[in-house]
Amino acid sequence: MTTPDSLDSPESRASHAPAPVRDTAPHARAEAHVRARSGGPLRLHAGEPAPAGMLRLTRSDSSGEALPVWPDGATPSLLDEYQVTPVPVERSGETRRVLAACLTCCWPDLSADPWPGEPAPVELVLDTYRALIGRTDDLMRNWAIGALRRLHDSAWIVMSDGLVSLGPRCALWPVESHAQLKELVHRIPRPERSELTVVADADLVAAARPPVASDPATSAPVPGALAPAGDPPPAAPAEDPPPAAPAEDPPPAAPAEDPPPAAPAEDLPSAGPGGRVEEGTAEFGDLLDGYDERRRAELVAAFMAVEHAAEPVQEARFGALRDPALRRTLGEMLARRGRTLIQHRERWISGYDDGAAGAGVRLGEGERAVLTLVLVHSVAIPRAEGLLPEDTWASPHPTPVEELRRHTQLPIGELEAALRGLRHAGLLTQVKAGEEAGGYVPGPQFHRLTPVARRRLQEELILAAGPHTPLAAAVRARRTTR
Amino acid sequence: MGSLTLEPVSEQPLTLDAALSEEAVLSTYRRMFAALARDSGAVVDDPALVDIAETLFAAFAEAGEEWLTHEQMRFACRAYPGDQFDNRLRVLKGLGAIREVFPKPNQLRYRASFTSVVGLMFIRRMMDDGGQSEMHRLLALEDLNVADPRTTMDEARQSAANLARAFRLWALELITLTMGTIEELREQAPKLWGTEEIARRAQSLHGTILTRWPELDRVCTDLRSAIYAYSDASRRAAGRLADSAGTTRNLTLLPTETWRTFTQTASKERLASVLDDFVFDAPAPWHDPAAIARAVDEAPRPAPAQPTPPRSTLPDPGPGGSLDSSPGAAVERLAVVAESLLGASSRVALADVLGPDWPSARRLLADLTSVDLRPELPYRLVWSDDLTIDPARRPAWLSHGHLERTP
Repeated sequence: MTTPDSLDSPESRASHAPAPVRDTAPHARAEAHVRARSGGPLRLHAGEPAPAGMLRLTRSDSSGEALPVWPDGATPSLLDEYQVTPVPVERSGETRRVLAACLTCCWPDLSADPWPGEPAPVELVLDTYRALIGRTDDLMRNWAIGALRRLHDSAWIVMSDGLVSLGPRCALWPVESHAQLKELVHRIPRPERSELTVVADADLVAAARPPVASDPATSAPVPGALAPAGDPPPAAPAEDPPPAAPAEDPPPAAPAEDPPPAAPAEDLPSAGPGGRVEEGTAEFGDLLDGYDERRRAELVAAFMAVEHAAEPVQEARFGALRDPALRRTLGEMLARRGRTLIQHRERWISGYDDGAAGAGVRLGEGERAVLTLVLVHSVAIPRAEGLLPEDTWASPHPTPVEELRRHTQLPIGELEAALRGLRHAGLLTQVKAGEEAGGYVPGPQFHRLTPVARRRLQEELILAAGPHTPLAAAVRARRTTR
Repeated sequence: MGSLTLEPVSEQPLTLDAALSEEAVLSTYRRMFAALARDSGAVVDDPALVDIAETLFAAFAEAGEEWLTHEQMRFACRAYPGDQFDNRLRVLKGLGAIREVFPKPNQLRYRASFTSVVGLMFIRRMMDDGGQSEMHRLLALEDLNVADPRTTMDEARQSAANLARAFRLWALELITLTMGTIEELREQAPKLWGTEEIARRAQSLHGTILTRWPELDRVCTDLRSAIYAYSDASRRAAGRLADSAGTTRNLTLLPTETWRTFTQTASKERLASVLDDFVFDAPAPWHDPAAIARAVDEAPRPAPAQPTPPRSTLPDPGPGGSLDSSPGAAVERLAVVAESLLGASSRVALADVLGPDWPSARRLLADLTSVDLRPELPYRLVWSDDLTIDPARRPAWLSHGHLERTP
């Protein structure tokens, strides 16, 4: 999301975190969590431990990535049980079907965990998706590529050099659900791939890998030769999609459990196979252990709800929000992740703590500019005209797309890319009205601004739009005296 | 025009709340001319009266050298009641805003005073922005004046003193508002507080005077302190509002045009800088295995390939041409069917006419039912309650009925 070419974004977001993640001080831990929430999975140097409360996805060279897990094995699916609406997923059905196609192509060895799996050519994934939905037109292809891009941006897959591999977030699927995923992969039809494909998939995968320096004997097969079954390189054979024949195809590269130092020749430093998941240290033990099972479950449920709901959740629905003592513990749990509870009358949601937010990863310039435009058109102008009475950053007044296209200084291409990224992150919500009309309003993330942040946003807007007004002078004066 | 606008501004307090209510409009008029009025009843008590004057001036401008007669003036103001018009005309004539073209008795044609028209323009502008733009113009004019070699020191002294007084009164107004209710402040302050531009212009004027006439040191000190007091009052009013407002309410304090101009002219960097210090969540939707499975199950299925029925390879136009589709054809055919069954008799039992071959019996029954249902055909079917069942016969189940000729 930081670059116009959003294909690179998980990496680029992660690379915004230059400071090594240390898990010594609680402060550093909170900052690491803020960086992971605002920028996606964290890059870890070789041997660097994951901060508490995060999973370490270790590569064979002992570098890796860290991403937050949830207490007591919960996942955001918990919200369904409480009938709380999670942040909406853009084109959810299509995106998930494409993810299923990725999983089918990148998870050849069903006896191992899905992550890290094996890279597969993008075309194979597209063919699999095509076979799944039975459509072959260009529109379908464009949609599927859009879905791949969104999955890449949210670190569910990694797409580079025409290859797709499973992204860090796939390591968050609980082990209990792997059976369901296996059953799903079995059900998905395999595409009929012509044997006359100019270049075999295995060779595509091999060619996309960086040259292996160490031992040529263990390296990829000779280009052009079809890989026979049982061949060591862990690539998807062309006419024989991987999971079809798991029996006679012994898992070649070491999967999850054993980190073999012998195998690195096969491993890609960034998107390659090989890697294992290391459970992070629990972070809430001391807070949760004192409670009985029911209260503990209530705390976890409230934690998941405020962290992942699209809108503030009703206090009455969650024991841990009703009871002041439990709510205090909930606040402490959130604080360890650089988060804080935000109250909207009888409803609650979480947001970045004002002190910890400084560590977070910023949006790209184009995205910030477009978001500012929408805030002015959807909130500031309706408010100045007296049409928006409530004190909020949510608004029913859409900013017309035409207004953004025609009457701003932003180039169209950059505008479209920024809109895509902002929509995907829940910073903008598209409002449809007819074929061409409609526009954008500030998205659900604006419920998550603390009162201080909301006030600061207002002040920044005034400083930018009317820098020479006394109002701006007053804002500046107040800031210097503070 | 400089002297014309200067006088009212410097002679009376600049308390120009340009709120939209009628009372606010009137109070502006009253205050504007308080310095000139003979008694408190001298200012109009209905804003429509000002509109009459404006309509009249427009009519005069239109008329050109033809001037206007009383009747023509009345016609131009036909939208207003007669007594209001008469009243206004009397006042305007009395004050010299409208005069006879030639000062002769029985003069029928009238002309309008240029000065009054300019004055009215000025009033309307004051209404719009509470005198801020007037202050801008004034400062620009004064700046030119003091730079003019012909200007004397006395004139400069007068000018500096006038401005100092205006700024002081302006500041006092703001200070009073700042100590009043927050609603009133919110309503009126944005019209009163100055921009940095005004303070900057005033300071430059002050600098020009002081450089040219160092002797005017005292009056310039006065002016300077008045400017500072005004800037300070502006900032304090804005500060109180900024403190009192909620987390978005202050957005109302910049006018819509400012916001619009900002969105249309600001560079990408300037727009982006608003959100420089804000952190938002990266996209992290959760794709639960169950949700993925559900999405796959709900995938739009490819339409199953339906084999087309086999077709002859030879060209076959089909039996379409054999059907007589003329309007009477069906009725004629049915009549032929009925007649062939009845022959010479007027009534025949169905059991006798149906053959053992069920497909053709079925077709015949269908035809007879059509016959019965067509009122234009002189036949009918009459059914009895009898039902005979004979497994050996075809049809084995037979309900009895007759086909009859109707009279």
